Amino acid sequence: MSSLYGFLCLVGFLLLGEALVWLLHLPVSSGVVGMLALTLWLMAKGRVSQEIQSASQPLIAILAMLIMPGVVGVFFIVEAFAGQWLIVGVALVPGTLFSVATTLWLMLRFMPKADSDE
Amino acid sequence: MNEGLIGLRALLLETPMLAIFLTLAAYLAGARLFVRLGKPSWCPAVLIAAMLLAATLALTGVDYDDYRAGAGWLMLLLGPATVALAVPLYQQLPRIRELWLPVLCTLPPAAMLAALYSVGLAWLLGATPEVLASLAPKSVTAPIAMGITEQLGGVIPLMMGGLLITGVMATAFVGLLSRWLDIRDERVLGFVLGVNGHVIGTVRAFEYGATAGAFASLGMSLTGIFSALFLPLAWRLVGL
Repeated sequence: MSSLYGFLCLVGFLLLGEALVWLLHLPVSSGVVGMLALTLWLMAKGRVSQEIQSASQPLIAILAMLIMPGVVGVFFIVEAFAGQWLIVGVALVPGTLFSVATTLWLMLRFMPKADSDE
Repeated sequence: MNEGLIGLRALLLETPMLAIFLTLAAYLAGARLFVRLGKPSWCPAVLIAAMLLAATLALTGVDYDDYRAGAGWLMLLLGPATVALAVPLYQQLPRIRELWLPVLCTLPPAAMLAALYSVGLAWLLGATPEVLASLAPKSVTAPIAMGITEQLGGVIPLMMGGLLITGVMATAFVGLLSRWLDIRDERVLGFVLGVNGHVIGTVRAFEYGATAGAFASLGMSLTGIFSALFLPLAWRLVGL
Protein backbone atom coordinates (compact mmCIF):
# COMPACT_ATOMS: atom_id res chain seq x y z
CA MET A 1 0.00 0.00 0.00
CA SER A 2 2.92 2.32 0.66
CA SER A 3 3.64 3.05 -3.01
CA LEU A 4 -0.05 3.80 -3.51
CA TYR A 5 0.24 6.50 -0.87
CA GLY A 6 3.30 7.84 -2.70
CA PHE A 7 1.34 7.90 -5.96
CA LEU A 8 -1.41 9.83 -4.19
CA CYS A 9 1.18 12.44 -3.18
CA LEU A 10 2.50 12.70 -6.75
CA VAL A 11 -1.01 13.19 -8.15
CA GLY A 12 -1.71 15.70 -5.39
CA PHE A 13 1.33 17.76 -6.35
CA LEU A 14 0.34 17.50 -10.03
CA LEU A 15 -3.07 18.96 -9.19
CA LEU A 16 -1.41 21.65 -7.11
CA GLY A 17 0.75 22.44 -10.16
CA GLU A 18 -2.38 22.59 -12.31
CA ALA A 19 -4.00 25.03 -9.87
CA LEU A 20 -0.89 27.24 -9.75
CA VAL A 21 -0.64 27.32 -13.55
CA TRP A 22 -4.24 28.46 -13.74
CA LEU A 23 -4.03 30.96 -10.87
CA LEU A 24 -0.77 32.60 -11.98
CA HIS A 25 -1.25 32.19 -15.76
CA LEU A 26 2.09 30.36 -16.01
CA PRO A 27 3.20 29.30 -19.50
CA VAL A 28 4.74 26.05 -18.12
CA SER A 29 3.09 22.63 -17.83
CA SER A 30 1.48 21.56 -14.56
CA GLY A 31 3.89 18.60 -14.29
CA VAL A 32 6.94 20.86 -14.11
CA VAL A 33 5.29 23.21 -11.60
CA GLY A 34 4.26 20.17 -9.53
CA MET A 35 7.83 18.88 -9.69
CA LEU A 36 9.24 22.19 -8.45
CA ALA A 37 6.61 22.31 -5.69
CA LEU A 38 7.48 18.77 -4.58
CA THR A 39 11.21 19.60 -4.61
CA LEU A 40 10.56 22.59 -2.34
CA TRP A 41 8.40 20.47 -0.06
CA LEU A 42 11.11 17.78 0.20
CA MET A 43 13.67 20.50 0.96
CA ALA A 44 11.43 21.81 3.73
CA LYS A 45 10.98 18.32 5.17
CA GLY A 46 14.64 17.43 4.75
CA ARG A 47 14.10 13.85 3.55
CA VAL A 48 12.24 11.69 1.02
CA SER A 49 9.72 9.30 2.51
CA GLN A 50 9.83 5.63 1.55
CA GLU A 51 6.34 5.95 0.06
CA ILE A 52 7.22 8.72 -2.39
CA GLN A 53 10.47 7.01 -3.29
CA SER A 54 8.77 3.71 -4.14
CA ALA A 55 6.13 5.45 -6.25
CA SER A 56 8.63 7.63 -8.15
CA GLN A 57 11.16 5.03 -9.21
CA PRO A 58 8.89 2.89 -11.42
CA LEU A 59 7.32 6.00 -12.99
CA ILE A 60 10.70 7.48 -13.90
CA ALA A 61 11.73 4.12 -15.36
CA ILE A 62 8.82 4.17 -17.84
CA LEU A 63 9.10 7.86 -18.85
CA ALA A 64 10.21 6.95 -22.37
CA MET A 65 7.23 4.63 -22.83
CA LEU A 66 4.79 7.36 -21.82
CA ILE A 67 5.71 9.59 -24.77
CA MET A 68 5.43 6.71 -27.29
CA PRO A 69 1.72 7.15 -28.15
CA GLY A 70 2.43 10.72 -29.26
CA VAL A 71 5.73 9.98 -30.95
CA VAL A 72 4.28 7.20 -33.10
CA GLY A 73 1.99 9.75 -34.76
CA VAL A 74 4.90 10.97 -36.89
CA PHE A 75 4.81 7.76 -38.95
CA PHE A 76 1.23 8.57 -39.97
CA ILE A 77 1.82 12.11 -41.26
CA VAL A 78 4.62 11.19 -43.69
CA GLU A 79 2.50 12.07 -46.72
CA ALA A 80 1.15 15.33 -45.31
CA PHE A 81 4.67 16.79 -45.21
CA ALA A 82 6.00 15.12 -48.33
CA GLY A 83 8.43 17.83 -49.50
CA GLN A 84 9.71 18.73 -46.05
CA TRP A 85 11.37 15.59 -44.67
CA LEU A 86 14.85 16.25 -46.02
CA ILE A 87 14.70 19.72 -44.45
CA VAL A 88 13.49 18.28 -41.14
CA GLY A 89 16.31 15.72 -41.17
CA VAL A 90 19.00 18.28 -41.94
CA ALA A 91 17.59 20.65 -39.33
CA LEU A 92 17.46 18.01 -36.61
CA VAL A 93 20.54 15.84 -37.11
CA PRO A 94 23.35 18.40 -37.61
CA GLY A 95 21.30 20.89 -35.56
CA THR A 96 21.34 18.55 -32.57
CA LEU A 97 25.05 17.77 -33.07
CA PHE A 98 25.84 21.50 -32.94
CA SER A 99 23.69 22.11 -29.89
CA VAL A 100 25.11 19.10 -27.99
CA ALA A 101 28.65 20.28 -28.79
CA THR A 102 27.85 23.85 -27.72
CA THR A 103 26.24 22.82 -24.42
CA LEU A 104 29.16 20.50 -23.67
CA TRP A 105 31.65 23.27 -24.41
CA LEU A 106 29.77 25.87 -22.32
CA MET A 107 29.39 23.49 -19.39
CA LEU A 108 33.07 22.50 -19.39
CA ARG A 109 34.08 26.12 -19.71
CA PHE A 110 32.14 27.17 -16.60
CA MET A 111 32.92 24.10 -14.49
CA PRO A 112 35.07 24.76 -11.42
CA LYS A 113 38.60 23.64 -12.22
CA ALA A 114 39.44 21.69 -9.04
CA ASP A 115 37.03 18.77 -9.45
CA SER A 116 36.43 18.83 -13.17
CA ASP A 117 37.51 15.20 -13.61
CA GLU A 118 35.78 13.66 -10.65
CA MET B 1 -9.38 -8.75 -43.71
CA ASN B 2 -12.64 -10.65 -43.30
CA GLU B 3 -15.81 -9.36 -41.67
CA GLY B 4 -15.41 -11.26 -38.41
CA LEU B 5 -11.94 -9.96 -37.74
CA ILE B 6 -12.96 -6.38 -38.51
CA GLY B 7 -15.83 -6.77 -36.05
CA LEU B 8 -13.47 -8.15 -33.41
CA ARG B 9 -11.03 -5.28 -33.95
CA ALA B 10 -13.84 -2.74 -33.51
CA LEU B 11 -14.97 -4.53 -30.34
CA LEU B 12 -11.47 -4.53 -28.81
CA LEU B 13 -11.00 -0.86 -29.68
CA GLU B 14 -14.09 0.10 -27.71
CA THR B 15 -12.06 0.38 -24.51
CA PRO B 16 -8.51 1.79 -24.22
CA MET B 17 -7.18 -1.66 -23.25
CA LEU B 18 -6.03 -2.70 -26.74
CA ALA B 19 -4.07 0.52 -27.21
CA ILE B 20 -2.49 0.13 -23.77
CA PHE B 21 -1.64 -3.51 -24.51
CA LEU B 22 -0.02 -2.64 -27.84
CA THR B 23 2.04 0.17 -26.28
CA LEU B 24 3.32 -1.98 -23.40
CA ALA B 25 4.05 -4.89 -25.73
CA ALA B 26 5.95 -2.70 -28.22
CA TYR B 27 7.90 -1.04 -25.43
CA LEU B 28 8.98 -4.33 -23.84
CA ALA B 29 9.76 -5.91 -27.23
CA GLY B 30 11.77 -2.81 -28.14
CA ALA B 31 13.71 -3.00 -24.87
CA ARG B 32 14.46 -6.69 -25.40
CA LEU B 33 15.52 -6.20 -29.03
CA PHE B 34 17.73 -3.31 -27.91
CA VAL B 35 19.63 -5.61 -25.52
CA ARG B 36 19.79 -8.34 -28.18
CA LEU B 37 21.38 -5.86 -30.62
CA GLY B 38 24.07 -5.04 -28.06
CA LYS B 39 22.61 -1.68 -26.85
CA PRO B 40 23.57 0.44 -29.90
CA SER B 41 23.81 4.10 -28.87
CA TRP B 42 22.55 5.31 -32.28
CA CYS B 43 19.29 3.38 -31.94
CA PRO B 44 17.82 3.56 -28.41
CA ALA B 45 15.07 1.24 -27.21
CA VAL B 46 12.37 3.88 -27.61
CA LEU B 47 13.09 4.25 -31.34
CA ILE B 48 12.87 0.49 -31.91
CA ALA B 49 9.67 0.38 -29.86
CA ALA B 50 8.09 3.27 -31.79
CA MET B 51 8.87 1.60 -35.12
CA LEU B 52 7.48 -1.74 -33.91
CA LEU B 53 4.33 0.01 -32.73
CA ALA B 54 3.85 1.91 -36.00
CA ALA B 55 4.35 -1.29 -37.99
CA THR B 56 1.84 -3.15 -35.80
CA LEU B 57 -0.77 -0.43 -36.22
CA ALA B 58 -0.25 -0.38 -39.99
CA LEU B 59 -0.44 -4.18 -40.31
CA THR B 60 -3.54 -4.61 -38.16
CA GLY B 61 -5.23 -1.62 -39.79
CA VAL B 62 -5.87 0.14 -36.49
CA ASP B 63 -6.51 3.81 -37.18
CA TYR B 64 -3.94 6.05 -35.48
CA ASP B 65 -6.62 8.34 -34.06
CA ASP B 66 -8.41 5.36 -32.47
CA TYR B 67 -5.11 4.16 -31.03
CA ARG B 68 -4.23 7.63 -29.80
CA ALA B 69 -7.59 8.02 -28.07
CA GLY B 70 -6.96 4.82 -26.11
CA ALA B 71 -3.27 5.33 -25.41
CA GLY B 72 -4.06 8.81 -24.11
CA TRP B 73 -4.87 7.06 -20.83
CA LEU B 74 -1.26 5.95 -20.63
CA MET B 75 0.05 9.42 -21.50
CA LEU B 76 -1.88 10.81 -18.53
CA LEU B 77 0.81 9.20 -16.36
CA LEU B 78 3.32 11.62 -17.88
CA GLY B 79 2.05 14.19 -15.35
CA PRO B 80 2.80 12.26 -12.14
CA ALA B 81 6.00 10.89 -13.74
CA THR B 82 7.25 14.45 -14.30
CA VAL B 83 6.42 15.31 -10.69
CA ALA B 84 8.35 12.18 -9.63
CA LEU B 85 11.56 13.68 -11.04
CA ALA B 86 11.57 15.88 -7.94
CA VAL B 87 12.93 12.91 -5.97
CA PRO B 88 16.29 12.48 -7.79
CA LEU B 89 16.49 16.26 -8.06
CA TYR B 90 16.11 16.65 -4.30
CA GLN B 91 18.52 13.81 -3.52
CA GLN B 92 21.28 15.37 -5.63
CA LEU B 93 20.63 18.91 -4.43
CA PRO B 94 23.98 19.30 -2.61
CA ARG B 95 25.87 18.42 -5.80
CA ILE B 96 23.65 20.70 -7.89
CA ARG B 97 24.20 23.56 -5.45
CA GLU B 98 27.96 23.24 -5.96
CA LEU B 99 27.44 23.84 -9.66
CA TRP B 100 24.79 26.55 -9.72
CA LEU B 101 27.10 28.93 -11.58
CA PRO B 102 27.97 26.73 -14.59
CA VAL B 103 24.35 25.56 -14.75
CA LEU B 104 22.95 29.08 -14.82
CA CYS B 105 25.57 30.35 -17.28
CA THR B 106 25.10 27.42 -19.65
CA LEU B 107 21.35 27.11 -19.67
CA PRO B 108 20.06 30.24 -21.45
CA PRO B 109 22.51 30.17 -24.39
CA ALA B 110 22.26 26.38 -24.68
CA ALA B 111 18.46 26.33 -24.73
CA MET B 112 18.31 29.24 -27.17
CA LEU B 113 20.88 27.71 -29.52
CA ALA B 114 19.23 24.27 -29.42
CA ALA B 115 16.17 25.87 -31.04
CA LEU B 116 18.09 28.37 -33.16
CA TYR B 117 20.40 25.89 -34.93
CA SER B 118 17.50 23.73 -36.11
CA VAL B 119 15.05 26.50 -36.91
CA GLY B 120 17.84 28.40 -38.69
CA LEU B 121 18.86 25.40 -40.79
CA ALA B 122 15.24 24.65 -41.67
CA TRP B 123 14.60 28.28 -42.56
CA LEU B 124 17.67 28.41 -44.82
CA LEU B 125 16.40 25.33 -46.62
CA GLY B 126 13.00 26.91 -47.14
CA ALA B 127 10.79 25.15 -44.60
CA THR B 128 7.19 26.31 -44.25
CA PRO B 129 6.29 28.39 -41.13
CA GLU B 130 4.26 25.40 -39.91
CA VAL B 131 7.37 23.18 -39.98
CA LEU B 132 9.51 25.87 -38.32
CA ALA B 133 6.99 26.18 -35.48
CA SER B 134 6.95 22.40 -35.06
CA LEU B 135 10.76 22.18 -34.88
CA ALA B 136 11.34 25.06 -32.44
CA PRO B 137 10.52 23.15 -29.21
CA LYS B 138 12.51 20.06 -30.30
CA SER B 139 14.58 19.90 -27.10
CA VAL B 140 11.66 20.58 -24.74
CA THR B 141 9.95 17.87 -22.72
CA ALA B 142 6.72 16.64 -24.35
CA PRO B 143 3.98 18.22 -22.18
CA ILE B 144 5.59 21.68 -22.36
CA ALA B 145 6.50 21.30 -26.03
CA MET B 146 2.85 20.60 -26.94
CA GLY B 147 1.78 23.91 -25.40
CA ILE B 148 4.59 25.82 -27.15
CA THR B 149 3.87 24.27 -30.57
CA GLU B 150 0.20 25.13 -30.33
CA GLN B 151 1.04 28.69 -29.40
CA LEU B 152 3.46 29.07 -32.34
CA GLY B 153 1.10 27.45 -34.86
CA GLY B 154 2.92 24.14 -35.37
CA VAL B 155 1.68 20.59 -35.89
CA ILE B 156 1.79 18.29 -32.84
CA PRO B 157 2.55 14.93 -34.55
CA LEU B 158 5.39 16.56 -36.51
CA MET B 159 6.72 18.15 -33.30
CA MET B 160 6.58 14.77 -31.52
CA GLY B 161 8.52 13.20 -34.39
CA GLY B 162 11.09 15.97 -34.08
CA LEU B 163 11.26 15.26 -30.36
CA LEU B 164 11.98 11.59 -31.06
CA ILE B 165 14.74 12.30 -33.59
CA THR B 166 16.27 14.99 -31.37
CA GLY B 167 16.26 12.73 -28.31
CA VAL B 168 17.81 9.86 -30.23
CA MET B 169 20.45 12.09 -31.84
CA ALA B 170 21.27 13.84 -28.57
CA THR B 171 21.95 10.52 -26.80
CA ALA B 172 24.02 9.29 -29.74
CA PHE B 173 26.10 12.48 -30.02
CA VAL B 174 26.65 12.78 -26.25
CA GLY B 175 27.92 9.18 -26.25
CA LEU B 176 30.15 9.84 -29.23
CA LEU B 177 31.59 13.18 -28.04
CA SER B 178 32.13 12.01 -24.46
CA ARG B 179 34.16 9.03 -25.67
CA TRP B 180 36.02 11.11 -28.21
CA LEU B 181 36.88 13.94 -25.78
CA ASP B 182 37.18 11.55 -22.80
CA ILE B 183 34.61 13.35 -20.62
CA ARG B 184 33.43 11.20 -17.71
CA ASP B 185 31.93 13.78 -15.38
CA GLU B 186 28.38 12.51 -14.82
CA ARG B 187 27.21 15.98 -13.88
CA VAL B 188 28.25 17.48 -17.22
CA LEU B 189 27.01 14.56 -19.33
CA GLY B 190 23.68 14.41 -17.48
CA PHE B 191 23.06 18.12 -17.83
CA VAL B 192 23.89 18.09 -21.55
CA LEU B 193 21.57 15.09 -22.06
CA GLY B 194 18.69 16.77 -20.24
CA VAL B 195 19.05 20.14 -21.98
CA ASN B 196 19.27 18.67 -25.49
CA GLY B 197 17.55 15.33 -25.29
CA HIS B 198 14.55 15.99 -22.93
CA VAL B 199 12.95 12.76 -21.62
CA ILE B 200 14.88 10.44 -23.93
CA GLY B 201 18.17 12.01 -22.84
CA THR B 202 17.12 11.86 -19.19
CA VAL B 203 16.31 8.15 -19.44
CA ARG B 204 19.76 7.61 -20.95
CA ALA B 205 21.36 9.70 -18.18
CA PHE B 206 19.87 7.47 -15.48
CA GLU B 207 21.75 4.60 -17.15
CA TYR B 208 25.01 6.50 -16.52
CA GLY B 209 24.06 6.85 -12.84
CA ALA B 210 21.91 8.67 -10.28
CA THR B 211 23.97 11.87 -10.44
CA ALA B 212 23.72 12.06 -14.22
CA GLY B 213 19.98 11.39 -13.94
CA ALA B 214 19.46 14.20 -11.47
CA PHE B 215 21.44 16.67 -13.57
CA ALA B 216 19.46 15.58 -16.63
CA SER B 217 16.17 16.14 -14.77
CA LEU B 218 17.42 19.57 -13.80
CA GLY B 219 18.52 20.39 -17.36
CA MET B 220 15.26 19.11 -18.81
CA SER B 221 13.03 21.12 -16.48
CA LEU B 222 15.08 24.31 -16.77
CA THR B 223 15.10 24.03 -20.58
CA GLY B 224 11.33 23.49 -20.52
CA ILE B 225 10.68 26.52 -18.34
CA PHE B 226 13.12 28.75 -20.21
CA SER B 227 11.84 27.75 -23.67
CA ALA B 228 8.20 28.20 -22.67
CA LEU B 229 9.02 31.81 -21.83
CA PHE B 230 11.57 32.47 -24.58
CA LEU B 231 10.19 30.85 -27.74
CA PRO B 232 6.80 32.62 -27.95
CA LEU B 233 8.60 35.92 -27.33
CA ALA B 234 11.24 35.23 -29.99
CA TRP B 235 8.51 34.23 -32.44
CA ARG B 236 6.73 37.51 -31.92
CA LEU B 237 9.96 39.51 -32.34
CA VAL B 238 10.87 37.78 -35.59
CA GLY B 239 7.30 38.25 -36.75
CA LEU B 240 6.54 34.69 -37.80
